[in-house]
Amino acid sequence: MQLARGGGSVASALGLLSATLLGANSACAQESGAININDDTSTDLGKTRIDMSVLYYAEDGGRLKAIEPVASATLNASDGSTFNVRLTSDTLTGATPNGAAPWIAPQTFITPIKTPDSETTTTSASGHSVIVTIPGTGVVASQYTAPANSLPLDYGFKDQRYAIDLGYSKLLAPDLRGSFGGAFSTERDYRSISFYGGVEKELFQKRTTLSASANIEFDQSKPKIGIPVPLSPMSGLLKGPNQNKTVIGGVIGVTEVVNRFWLAQLNYSADLSEGYQTDPYRIISVVDGGSGTPLQYLYESRPRSRFRQSVYAASKIAAGPTVADLSARVYKDDWGVKSFTGEIKERIPFGSAFYFEPRFRYYTQGKADFFKDYLLAGAPLPAFATSDSRLGKFSAKTIGAKIGVRLGGGEFYLKGDRYIQSGDQNPPGTIPGLAGENLFTGVSATSIIVGYSFAFY
Amino acid sequence: MKSENLSRLLLRASVAFLLANGAAGCASFDVNPWDRDLLARRSMQFNTHPLITAADEHIYFSKEGSSGGRAFGGGGCGCN
Repeated sequence: MQLARGGGSVASALGLLSATLLGANSACAQESGAININDDTSTDLGKTRIDMSVLYYAEDGGRLKAIEPVASATLNASDGSTFNVRLTSDTLTGATPNGAAPWIAPQTFITPIKTPDSETTTTSASGHSVIVTIPGTGVVASQYTAPANSLPLDYGFKDQRYAIDLGYSKLLAPDLRGSFGGAFSTERDYRSISFYGGVEKELFQKRTTLSASANIEFDQSKPKIGIPVPLSPMSGLLKGPNQNKTVIGGVIGVTEVVNRFWLAQLNYSADLSEGYQTDPYRIISVVDGGSGTPLQYLYESRPRSRFRQSVYAASKIAAGPTVADLSARVYKDDWGVKSFTGEIKERIPFGSAFYFEPRFRYYTQGKADFFKDYLLAGAPLPAFATSDSRLGKFSAKTIGAKIGVRLGGGEFYLKGDRYIQSGDQNPPGTIPGLAGENLFTGVSATSIIVGYSFAFY
Repeated sequence: MKSENLSRLLLRASVAFLLANGAAGCASFDVNPWDRDLLARRSMQFNTHPLITAADEHIYFSKEGSSGGRAFGGGGCGCN
């Protein structure tokens, strides 16, 4: 027994000694630079960290473009509490598919405008739309034409979003951390506010960390053209009042020190969305069952309730001088969407000031129960229908790389990605009249993010 | 894939991971504080670049039918 107790105190002493050495090592790493940039063990305790980045995102074919500058400040008090504030701005321009199926002849679409000289989310002086007065009604609307045999795009997409995120965490006990926070974002046609709270409990000498958190989100969809009645015909008339959505969700997780080289994490998350979840701008074609001729365009319709669940597993593995990052997620919801995501990254150091991190991500999803490329004239109208490719069957690959450079006491980072979605251009059962058209409306995009992060006392 | 199949897959994946973690947890009893030099590295954090993670999650949230898992599942914008 004495020996065991003695061993325990030796273990404690060694623990204290190693912590001291690690602390000394981190100070050394900060001042003189680690031999290998991946070996940096410096901490932010007692410091303020500033992180700034700009994202540029562009879709192929002149579709959506986004520029997103972000600034973040995190105050790390010496007692372990942290406070973070993050400001985000999004500028979006370009074209988005309006939901109609392509056709062998040009197709003309009409959308409402608030006033004849107003600029709405779906129409603008982009050169792709014209202002018209609907004969016999005096109603002024915007009209645009999609060329034959091409995906109908609405070129007027333009929006600006501002968001603020706040978070605070505090040690409630040496092995228990509590956190709470909130976020607010606003754009021309959407507003969101959310709150979260959570706890983390460390067990078994910090080998295991259990976490649980919950959030609630209140969203409002408020397009200037109003909210159309689902499955009503597309028209230039202004639509109905704003609609709301509430999301309640939670995540429970466990993080495990598997061995000296391997850290693993497992999360289960679930959330329930209740309220308006339809895209107010998106339509779906009603076509002749033989020729494929578009006879009508209806506003799409989605269920007002959605329950989503996912299991997420991740690992960080110190593999020699490099660090591997592996993750996988399985997801399902009661709209019928099921998906799998897998990702691998490998951070390769080159000396004390530079690393290179290639990345590959694979994603595949099945379609929602109510996804249709088009509706058939004469058939009974379903309760729900969308042609949004995001709810269709497809897979996607992301190939990219990040570099990091130790610079001026901080880190400069740059990441570039190529994202490619692929799907079936003519799914089984496509009517003969549309067999020659490409019905897959997925995207391919390039994104670049550049940033600089540094900490100071 | 039918719903029951995916539920079964989710369950199996969870159980497999938990078993693997449980076994690994037993093996990890000797991961003492002085064995955590590698785990203490900044590069071993799960989220080394929060702004990159947020940007990626925002892009995927707006272009795919599923989101979340790492933390709360997307939201806060009208992009999906």
